[in-house]
Amino acid sequence: MTNSTASGAMDRLLAAGADPAAHAPGPAVGYVCSYVPEEIILAAGLHPVRLGARPGPTGPADSRLQSFSCSFARALLDGLLSGRWNGLEGFVFAYTCDSLRAAFESWRISAPPGRLVHFLNLPARIEGPGVLDYAASEMRRLSEALGGVDGAHPPTPDDLAWAIGLIGAVRQNLEGLARVRRARPDLLPGSTYMAMARGAAVLDRREAATLTAAVADELTAAMGATVSPSRTPSGAPPRPGGGRPRVLVLGGYLETEEPLRLIEESGADIVSDDLCLGGRRLEFGAGDDSDPYRRLAAMYLGRTPCPTKHPPDRRFEEIRSRATTDGVDGAIFLLQKFCDPHAFDYPALRDTLAEAGVPSLVIEVELGAVSTGQARTRLEAFIETLRQTARTSRGPGHPRGAAAGARGPAASRAGRGGGRM
Amino acid sequence: MSEPVREIAQDRRLTVDRELKGLILKHYMSAFRAKSPLGRKPVAWVTSGAPVEILLALGILPVYPENYGALVASRKAALPYCEAAEQAGYSLDLCAYARTNIGTFLLGQGELGGRPLPPPDLLVAAKNICDVVVKWWEVAARHFGCPLFILDTPYAADGLNPDQVAYVKGQLEDLVVFASKAARRRVPSKEAFESKLSEVLELTRQTVSLWNGIQALRQASPTPASALDMFTNMFPIVTLRGTKTCVDYYRKVTEELSERVKQGYGAVPLEKYRLIWDNIAIWYDFDLVRYLHARGAAFVGETYTDAWGIYDFDPSDAHDPLQAMARQYSLILLNIGLGIRKERLFRMVRSQRADGVVFHSCRSCKTYSLGQYELARAVRDELGLPTLVIEADMADSRAYSAGPTATRVDAFLEILAGKA
Repeated sequence: MTNSTASGAMDRLLAAGADPAAHAPGPAVGYVCSYVPEEIILAAGLHPVRLGARPGPTGPADSRLQSFSCSFARALLDGLLSGRWNGLEGFVFAYTCDSLRAAFESWRISAPPGRLVHFLNLPARIEGPGVLDYAASEMRRLSEALGGVDGAHPPTPDDLAWAIGLIGAVRQNLEGLARVRRARPDLLPGSTYMAMARGAAVLDRREAATLTAAVADELTAAMGATVSPSRTPSGAPPRPGGGRPRVLVLGGYLETEEPLRLIEESGADIVSDDLCLGGRRLEFGAGDDSDPYRRLAAMYLGRTPCPTKHPPDRRFEEIRSRATTDGVDGAIFLLQKFCDPHAFDYPALRDTLAEAGVPSLVIEVELGAVSTGQARTRLEAFIETLRQTARTSRGPGHPRGAAAGARGPAASRAGRGGGRM
Repeated sequence: MSEPVREIAQDRRLTVDRELKGLILKHYMSAFRAKSPLGRKPVAWVTSGAPVEILLALGILPVYPENYGALVASRKAALPYCEAAEQAGYSLDLCAYARTNIGTFLLGQGELGGRPLPPPDLLVAAKNICDVVVKWWEVAARHFGCPLFILDTPYAADGLNPDQVAYVKGQLEDLVVFASKAARRRVPSKEAFESKLSEVLELTRQTVSLWNGIQALRQASPTPASALDMFTNMFPIVTLRGTKTCVDYYRKVTEELSERVKQGYGAVPLEKYRLIWDNIAIWYDFDLVRYLHARGAAFVGETYTDAWGIYDFDPSDAHDPLQAMARQYSLILLNIGLGIRKERLFRMVRSQRADGVVFHSCRSCKTYSLGQYELARAVRDELGLPTLVIEADMADSRAYSAGPTATRVDAFLEILAGKA
């Protein structure tokens, strides 16, 4: 990162992401899965806080969940049982997977009295008969439950429309930042991008919208100012000899940015991702229904799908197309230990990417950490291969060599009008 | 797995077991025959919680990769297939049934005369047993390039609401059309289909009534059947539910067990302790159960075998068979909230007059296993009964260590002896 470290806005976002419990405004409701509509929590007069987990060994959760449960679910439950989130008014889980369902069951028998512990029972199917109606009914049920929380009120259609607008603005600003990351990862490294996205899922969303817009403006300006002969006309980093390979990172929810930093330290730029806190939260369905719950249901069913959603076709297609349009040289799978949905998708996704000419590497992540020594060696070897392949096979006329250039005009849209608030 | 020397009890096998072998063979032969040039019967791969009555009513033959996984594991043959799946990139932390199945179809080899399961014409998975089957069936659909139907059953954390029942029922209606088309059959009229479906459901209801009667016979002291009898005898209710063969078979089991009860003949020679088993069987180590039998411990109930006793469709839904199915298939053991699951376990402990509960913490099966620590705590604190948690896997023996498990069983038996 260069001049953007001076940005107070960025510092504030990063600090919130690093210590969510200390930055959550009140009255707040914590939620676990990116399919939980923050809009409804906001519309009820509450602050949505994405619940994370601290890396490291677990304590009280070990007597609740076996060691083969998803490590994120166990770490999350551990934080809850340790009282880290006792300041929250309520907790919303969603049907994500078998492990998180079990974490919900343990938490609902252990949560402090008087707190809402709600299970948002969204469909696993994202298309098919009755899916939209059913998803809308669950959104409405969540709204009713939140309306009863201390300090909250039942959301009106106006409240919901306002919240949809606000969350949409944060998302658009993040999308603008993603474009900066894609065009100029030297200005905005992937790990910093993700840390800001984490912060934006914690802070008061009005503040998050202002901050993300400010950072996007600042970086876009910096991008213009630093375009020099050492850069390609599009703003993409040049790739003579020592160019850093551009990689796509895939996985679930990461407890920290540590694995991303490790990839960057090993010599690659993260220019694209399919992560729970990142790329999967940017694209949403149109949702133009006049009923706000049906509108939200359509938005969430139409978003970039996660591997717990069926059918998987759109997910595979979106990843394949992202890899191509973002001009990546390789892909790195960060597989959360004991995460069944991602582990089942991995071989087919690896093959899909390989068919598109994108080689990949898989690294296992457990409790937010990778086994650093071994992972670093493998990453360095993989990235070196990417560098050599790029050097031999890619001239300036090569489609992927020029691909980042195609993002140039897009990058200039970062933080544009609609995204500010 | 190291094989410790363990003193085990001889099985007091039921005489109907001989017939069972024939049923299993016949079932798999019929699946191969269906796929032969003369067969022309469509084959569906289904999960253990799939609404098979719909497929049966459409003349489609359901086969169960999970049952096939159990069969392979009971022959202690799962490892090479699991390893083949791992070679292809499937993590060794994934469900061992899934790895076994994927390994067999990747290798084109298996344990049915060297063959894997016959390839499917259609794939039907219900999410009610886990989210794993959804992903597993997606893998199979990609491999075979055949149509896939996912029945999405919302989690019944505190029971079901009308929106959930309507959502599942709508999918079942869709399944009738999907399966007919996938099987290249004409979509039947509603009337004709529901009439056929009601016949199949009636056979299921009779099967389930007999099955629950069998479980009730085990309330006797000594129990006429222990876990091994039930693990093997569950094959028909899992794979042949909804057929007359199944009803006829369980009539015979009922007769034999009733006779045992009348004569006071127990499954275990000297029954001292009555236990409940939670979770799937450890298919490759039935000797563990025999080791308990040798020490006078008999299993009088298993949540696993009891799980099939739920399909006694609500009579108030008799006019609407698909609604009855929507409800029942959403309320199966692995799709209900932990609180309801605890009540069911407690009811079983009381009705079977159990002295303790053995939890098989099965690495492969997260839906079944996660939550067991809470259940075990409840059994100890609320019922005052001892519990044993065994860390193992239903099919992959690499996660299991027989020697230390036997030591833990000994300690558990000492606690039981102290309480007796």
